[in-house]
Order: sequence, then structure tokens, then C-alpha cells
Amino acid sequence: MSRSLLLRLPGCWSLSVPRRGLSVSGGTSSMNVFDRAMKRRQRNWAAALRDGHKYEYLREEVGGRVADRVYDIARTFPVALDVGGGKSHVAEHLSKDVVEHLILTDVSEETLKRSRRTQIPTLCVQADEEFLPFKENTFDLVVSSLSLHWINDLPGALRQIQQVLKPDGVFIGAMVGGETLYELRCSLQLAETEREGGFSPHVSPFTAVTDLGNLLGRAGFNMLTVDVDDVQVLYPGIMDVMTDLQGMSESNCSWNRRMLHRDTILAAAAIYREMYGQEDESVPASFEILYMIGWKPHESQAKPAPRGSATVSLGDLSKIKQPTDEL
Amino acid sequence: MSGTNAWSRGREKIRLFPELFAQCAGEATAYGKCVAGTTTGRQELKKDVCAKEFEALKTCFTNAAKKRAK
Repeated sequence: MSRSLLLRLPGCWSLSVPRRGLSVSGGTSSMNVFDRAMKRRQRNWAAALRDGHKYEYLREEVGGRVADRVYDIARTFPVALDVGGGKSHVAEHLSKDVVEHLILTDVSEETLKRSRRTQIPTLCVQADEEFLPFKENTFDLVVSSLSLHWINDLPGALRQIQQVLKPDGVFIGAMVGGETLYELRCSLQLAETEREGGFSPHVSPFTAVTDLGNLLGRAGFNMLTVDVDDVQVLYPGIMDVMTDLQGMSESNCSWNRRMLHRDTILAAAAIYREMYGQEDESVPASFEILYMIGWKPHESQAKPAPRGSATVSLGDLSKIKQPTDEL
Repeated sequence: MSGTNAWSRGREKIRLFPELFAQCAGEATAYGKCVAGTTTGRQELKKDVCAKEFEALKTCFTNAAKKRAK
């Protein structure tokens, strides 16, 4: 099901990219939670909105922070990949000194057509994040900003990212996780239970911070760094939260999604306001952004020292009076 | 899309929602408190536990909508 086209678009260079279907190891139990075709339609719709730029605040913020992490690594990356980057909010912060060539992928062609200006020569490829059409050991850097949380087989996708990286290449990703939108989730859950007697999930299942380390390790990454940013955005009410999420193309696309009844929305609005409302009548929506950095193994990377090679003991720490004292 | 259709009428209704909701702040608070109370109290949240408060909220909301439409 790999659909990749090379698009000749203004602002994007068309290079011929060698393609090979990557095999995902058969041991994984692939979940199928999200309707990827629906996500593509939602992104196309959001990209075509005339006032779409006003919904991009979260992506801009996270894109900037991912770019910061790229700058923290004192290297130049000849070839980089932005997975599920859409308009690429990361590349616009990067300069040609840091990344020399960029390949931008997304499932949505409308989003790619509207990719943001950047100094870096960019090639846009329409591809699904779960089926990367690239050869192994191609990229020095892979970034992904706010798209991994819509992937069905996350372990498989991370493994593919690890494979397309060159040895000593780095993956820097950001995804929403953990307790994101818990206010919305709880309000809808309580409202549906009270109004309809049961509830169905309307907010995606998210990866917890604790699981992310395991996922990256199993995908074959070394020297992992995972940290969390809590972003809280204030909205006038629940309808604004949901409208903005739709504008960001973050609407629900899970297979088991069901419609919200009018009464339930009204009930949820009241519950949201009562349980989470602030003094100025606004309501918060929390986004827990998980940032992850992982490196593809290489001999030059520091390894733990072999057992028994210690020359000093931690017990001697108390004997140190000055930093220059020798033990 | 030209003219009004189900899509644009629906969007229009969504746009009006905050305005109408603001007029029923009292009823909304009462309903919200009732439901929030079940999360902490011994009473479990079941269907129609706060039906009375919700009916009051819904009536206020529909009246506000009718007044707005005039």
C-alpha cells in the first residue's frame, strides 16, 4: 500500500529517489486504530482552508523547538528527512549550514503543495509514514513533528526510520502523548455517560512517556533522550477547542469514531466549564509534547565501560577535599 | 460552496453556540456541578443522574436560540 509520487512543485526540487519497499519485521502485532485515508482527507481539507494559518500555532511552536534540538547538535547534515512534516514547520527555522538537502514527506498532497518557505533545497514526496519509500542508510537526520501520534504501527514506523538513517545518524521527533487533552476527554466521557448511558472514545489513545524509551530502544536507537513539554492553551469554550483541533487537522480518525449528539456537546460544554474553567471564563486544553532523540548505533559512539575496569571507587568520594586532589 | 447548504448552516449554528451558551451560564454551572459531584461523591455516574439540571439547561439554550433567530 505504499503510495509515493514525485511531485514537481514550485519550491521543491525533483530528484530521483531510489525506492525499495522496506519490510517490517513480522513479530510485531500491528494495531489498526486509525483510518489513514481519513487522516489524509482531513489534512487535505485543513490545508485548503483560506484562514488555515491561524490554526497552526501549536505546530509552529513545536516545530521551532524541534529545530532548536537540531541546532544543539553541532553537525551539518547533508541529507535530512522530515516524516509527516506537512508544511514543515521545522525546516523554516533551519539554515543551509545545518541541513543541506531536505526531503519532506506527508500523506496529504495539499499540505505538501503549501510547504513553507525555507532556504534549504527541498524535495516533496507524498508517502505514508508507515511505508517509507527510501533505501536503508540514506539520511543523516530524520525529524518528525506532531505526526507520529496518528501512526498505527508505531514500533514498525520507528524501525523504518532507524533503517533509513545512516549509522551515527540521529532521529529527533516530537509527538503529543500522555495526558494530552485530558480535559476534553473527561468532559466528553462524563457527558456521554450521563446523557447516553455509555461512552465511546473521542480522543486518541496516546503513548505514555515511560513507553517511549522502550519503543525507541526496541527500534534499535542508542543514546536516547526523552523529555516532556506541557503546553496549555486557553480557549473560550469547548467548541473552540474542537474547531481548532479540526483546523489543525487533528480531528479524530480512529475506525471506532462515533458522532457526538447535540445534547452531549451541550452537556460536555457545561462540564468542561465547571470542572476546568478559569476565573476569566476561559477553559484550558493541555498538550503534553514528548520530544525524543535517538541515534543509530556506530562504533564511534560512547559505550558503557566493561565491568571490572574501574580504577577508583565511589566510596572514595568523601576523601576528595579539592577538585584537583588525586585519589 | 455557493449559497446556503447543510454544511454552511451547520457551521453557522456552531458559530452561534458560544453566544447562546453564555446566556445560560447559571443552568450550565448547575448541571456541571451535578455531574462533577458524582466523580467525587459516593453516587456513581449513570444515565440521567442529572436529567433535571440538563433539561433546564437545554430549555434555556433552545429559548436563547429562538430569541436569537427572531
